[in-house]
Amino acid sequence: MFADHAQSGKLLHRPRFLLLLFAAVFAAFFVVDFSQSRIAYLFAPVIGAPPAVGLHARFVVNLTLALLLCANIFGLSFLRFRVQVLVVWVELLVLSLGFFYLFDLSLAFMQRKIGFMVTQGVVTTLYLSAVSIAIASVIALIGAVAKLSSNGFAYSIATFYISIFRGLPLLVQVYLIYLGLPQLGFVIDAVPAGIVALSLCYGAYMAEIFRAGILGIPRGQWEGARALGFKFGLTMRLVILPQSIPLIIPPTGNQFIAMLKDSSLVSVLGVWEIMFLARTQGQAEFRHMEMLVMAALIYWLLSIILEAIQARIENHFRRVSN
Amino acid sequence: MKLQIKICAAALAFLLSATAGAGPALDRVMERKVLTVATDANWPPQSFLNDENEMDGFDVEVAKEIARRLGVGVAFVTPLWDIITSGHWQGRWDISVGSMTPTRERGRVLDFPAVYYYLLVNAAVHEDSAVTTIAGLNGKNIGVTTASTHELYLKKELSIASEDAPPFTYQVTPGKISSYERYATAADDLRLGDGVRLDAVLGALPNILKNIEAGYPFRVVGAPVFYEPIAIAIDKGDAEFKNRLREIVLAMHEDGTLSRLSKKWFGKDYSRSYPVD
Repeated sequence: MFADHAQSGKLLHRPRFLLLLFAAVFAAFFVVDFSQSRIAYLFAPVIGAPPAVGLHARFVVNLTLALLLCANIFGLSFLRFRVQVLVVWVELLVLSLGFFYLFDLSLAFMQRKIGFMVTQGVVTTLYLSAVSIAIASVIALIGAVAKLSSNGFAYSIATFYISIFRGLPLLVQVYLIYLGLPQLGFVIDAVPAGIVALSLCYGAYMAEIFRAGILGIPRGQWEGARALGFKFGLTMRLVILPQSIPLIIPPTGNQFIAMLKDSSLVSVLGVWEIMFLARTQGQAEFRHMEMLVMAALIYWLLSIILEAIQARIENHFRRVSN
Repeated sequence: MKLQIKICAAALAFLLSATAGAGPALDRVMERKVLTVATDANWPPQSFLNDENEMDGFDVEVAKEIARRLGVGVAFVTPLWDIITSGHWQGRWDISVGSMTPTRERGRVLDFPAVYYYLLVNAAVHEDSAVTTIAGLNGKNIGVTTASTHELYLKKELSIASEDAPPFTYQVTPGKISSYERYATAADDLRLGDGVRLDAVLGALPNILKNIEAGYPFRVVGAPVFYEPIAIAIDKGDAEFKNRLREIVLAMHEDGTLSRLSKKWFGKDYSRSYPVD
């Protein structure tokens, strides 16, 4: 964001604002009422053992939590930006891990299951997503060019395709392709059906991204290429696409992360990817929560890695274009 | 003339092969040397992933034994239950050994070569529940698996297509039927507490007992509401395959293989007619 050099006092250091913030937080906490939750056990020495809670306990618990939160925000305002980020990240991480800890999970069970989860589940998910995103990119490029073309046939096919595959829920597409294609005589297995569904769906979304990327190049570039005597193919390859790529990369990375998570929908076909195993491996011992938490953490970790890769690619193109 | 006959024969063969989506399943199995079995991976003790991350359970062992007697290998696929029961498998898998009740509706798209065991269907409530009789479940919120016979029973639309199925009466009129993609989710919801999300579940007795064994605070209510024969299922249209499987399952009944497997996985012999206890 734009950072100007005008100095003004921090909003948080005005007593009136601080009071207002505290009142708002307390009111919100009071309505949600944490004295009903398991956090109340921490207050047992003061308010008595839950569930023996009343209005007194509701005040004590929510007031304390609101005070803690506001003090935390106030304290943070004295730190430098980088330190703030670090502290808030650590706090949120501790809170979310504490949230998982409250589930009373069996770590031994998770340890036993994680090997197969990685070798079978993660590998299948990554394979599905990588193949699908590659095919989707090709479809998207063709779709974008077709939608920009002045050929009525190409334009209609592209708009029809994009309209259908953006307009249907991915789950419906997965079912339609798996159950519908055999009616036409093409019997395909669960994994190819999943790849076809993911590619077609994301191809439609990415076609719009690619189109925006191509349209983002000034008209003068086309005219310049024409003046040099370039035909369409050469213009695209040497002039337009190289300039579009930096525009296309951030939203495409977004799509890849989204696809990684949407590939879980293919589990309904019985493909043994992360989500399928998460729902299945815990069954014999009825430990479903452990597997769900594990799947959640794995998806998150994969997304973080992809985010990092995306940032690197963006940096690379920024350096090249400058 | 001869050429014409040859052409006609070739055209006929082509036509037959084009329409043979539901035909020579037995040939396919024998040619590939593998029996591909559709089953659920979320239904202990019938079928689940064991600690070695392999399919295991009563249904799985029955399927392996059938494949062994056919003289072929075995492979498992795990599509959703409603995809299996809707038929038209297109050769993706050859057989369902997934504790399927032969209902009249399923009989329109599937063939049932043979019954391999029998299930008791019971209602269970949370330990804290005040309900003690089947009649006490009237007006309650009951959880069942989607597209299962248990759901059909609660909807009063159940018709079992096996001649020896004992008659039953509809004893419950639920206030609400909560339909779950899988039984395990219903059981988890009932575990949250009496009336939190569900008042009761309706399910096969071995699965309810398995829940209780794993520490779920459940109590079985009253006697079984109905008994169901459980059959293997194949795609419609291959009489030869059907007869072959029928012979195999009958032999497994006779030589005690099914009794042994039932005792191993359920602790009781559910393979012989209707268990009453």
